Order: sequence, then C-alpha cells, then structure tokens
Amino acid sequence: MAIPLLICDDSNMARKQVKKSLPDGWDVDITYATNGVEGMDAIRNGQAEMMFLDLTMPEMDGYEVLDHVKAEGLKSVIIVISADIQPEARERVMAAGALDFIKKPINKEKLVGVLQKYGLL
Amino acid sequence: MKELPQYTEDQRDCLQEIVNVAMGQAGDSLARLLEVFVTLSVPKIQTLSPSEVRVALRSFVDSEYVSAIRQSFHDSKGQDGLRGEALVVYGDSSFKELAELLAYDDEELSEGLEQELLLDISNVLNGACLNGIAEQLGEELVYSPPSILGQHVPVEKLFQQDQMRWEMALSVEINYSLEQRSFNCDLLLLMPDTAIDYLANKLDEILEDD
Repeated sequence: MAIPLLICDDSNMARKQVKKSLPDGWDVDITYATNGVEGMDAIRNGQAEMMFLDLTMPEMDGYEVLDHVKAEGLKSVIIVISADIQPEARERVMAAGALDFIKKPINKEKLVGVLQKYGLL
Repeated sequence: MKELPQYTEDQRDCLQEIVNVAMGQAGDSLARLLEVFVTLSVPKIQTLSPSEVRVALRSFVDSEYVSAIRQSFHDSKGQDGLRGEALVVYGDSSFKELAELLAYDDEELSEGLEQELLLDISNVLNGACLNGIAEQLGEELVYSPPSILGQHVPVEKLFQQDQMRWEMALSVEINYSLEQRSFNCDLLLLMPDTAIDYLANKLDEILEDD
C-alpha cells in the first residue's frame, strides 16, 4: 500500500525539488502543505505517516510543528529539510523529535541516502 | 517613463527559495561571529523602482537615520551578464543592538571602530548571501571591496550622490532575531535592466529543470 507522505514547505519550488528527489518507483501518496498550520491538518488527517518538513515558514514554522506533533501524541516520521544550517538548529529539531536533518538545497542523493540510513526503503 | 520589469509568481518563488538558502548560510556565519543562535524568518522579496526603494526602506528599517555599505559585483559576461551593487542598510537602532552584542560599549564606539564593525558584519552577510545566490545560479561573481555609502544619514541622502546607474532594485528584507534581541537589515541588489532580464532567464532555466 502507498505510504501517506507529506511535503511541507512554503516554497512551491522547494516542494517540487523534494518531489523530484524522491527515490524512483517509491510507492507514496503525496500531500502538499504550504505552512505549518496546513501541515498539522494533514498530519491529523493521517496523511503523514512520513513527512519532509521545512523550518522557516509563515503562519506556523517547523519547530512549532514538531512541538505540536509531540504534544498531541501524533505518529509521523519527520525528516527536516532546511536552509538553516546552524549546528544548533539541527540539535534543536533532533531534540524535538525529528528523525534526521537535511541541508538545503535538496537532491536525490541526499534524500535517498537518509532514507537508506534508516532502512525506510 | 519606463515600465518596471515584473517577475512572474514562479520566478519570484524560485528567487525567494534561492535567497532563503543563501540567507541560511549567511545566518550561520553571523551566528558563528556573534556566538548566538540566530532565528531566521522568511525573507521578503520585492522588485522596486528607485523612488519606491526610499519609501520601502524608511518603513522597513523603522529609523530616521541609516548606515549603509555598498559592494559591486559582476560575472564574466560583462555588460550583458549578472551585475549590480549590493547594499546592506541598517537602521541606527538595529546597529546599536549589534554593537552591544559584540560587547562594544558606548564610549568605546568611535566612528572608526563603528566603520570597522559595519564593514565586518556586512562582509559576512553580503559575502554569504551573494555567494549562496551565485552558487545556486551556477555563476561565478567577482566583487569589489565593500565601502561605506553613508553613516547615520537620512534615507534620502543615501541615494543622492548616486553614481550608480540602475533601473530596478531587488529588495530582500531580512530580519534576524538573536535571543532576546532582534535586528533588521535590508539587503538591496541594485541592478540595471539588462541584469534583471538576465536573472529572469536564469530563473526560467532553473524552473524548466524542475
């Protein structure tokens, strides 16, 4: 069965870049969200067994999404994809429950590498 | 009057994401320099005519007086390529915050020291941002050394002794929050219309790849 996958980023181009970087032939059912509020709705609807999450977004940022997911006890494997390359940003999202952190710009090699690392393929 | 070139929504989104990645790199450099965690926000990007720049700057930096650093850049294609002037503009209140963060006290902050600080911070922001943009566009840029365009001057005065010829500014409004403090600066890329068209074509190439 297709895995419900959420791509949450305010930039249309960034969402397309993530989609383009997905492994070939990966059986996923993709939902897109343009900010954290839309992202939370999708997670609550069960559309995010896995999610790729941006940090810097309007309305609700990625840090807040991680906090809400934890507080509401929601289940989602979250991989953060962000332009915020400060080491502390990585530490913060990992402490908040993210599985891993990928620096932008994203490409297939980086994304597939992380999925393989955790045996998600 | 010449009509202002407008970028399409796709071009603007593409440029915004490119700037976003570049700002992340600049934020990291700034965090290392100041030894604090920098909270990034979404940069606001707009294209402005020379008269609009003054109005936008006044409202964004929220300060009567500003200080600004300029640095020119160009690629290897000469007149038809990517070229322009990068300006980093600070409101005076933001600049004071920065000086405090770097543990300068008021008496210590002579005009000379302040110039040094302005140049240092702008170099970090400008360098990381322009390099980040150039890298993603697949361009190599050459820069002039940064110089001070104005120190504690009214916004209007910044553009008076204007030797630059430019038809449009790409304004990137950046807000960095540093723990209990926050400061704003505006990175302005002033470009002639040939460079604006060149950039539009570059963005289209990237969009076609996607």
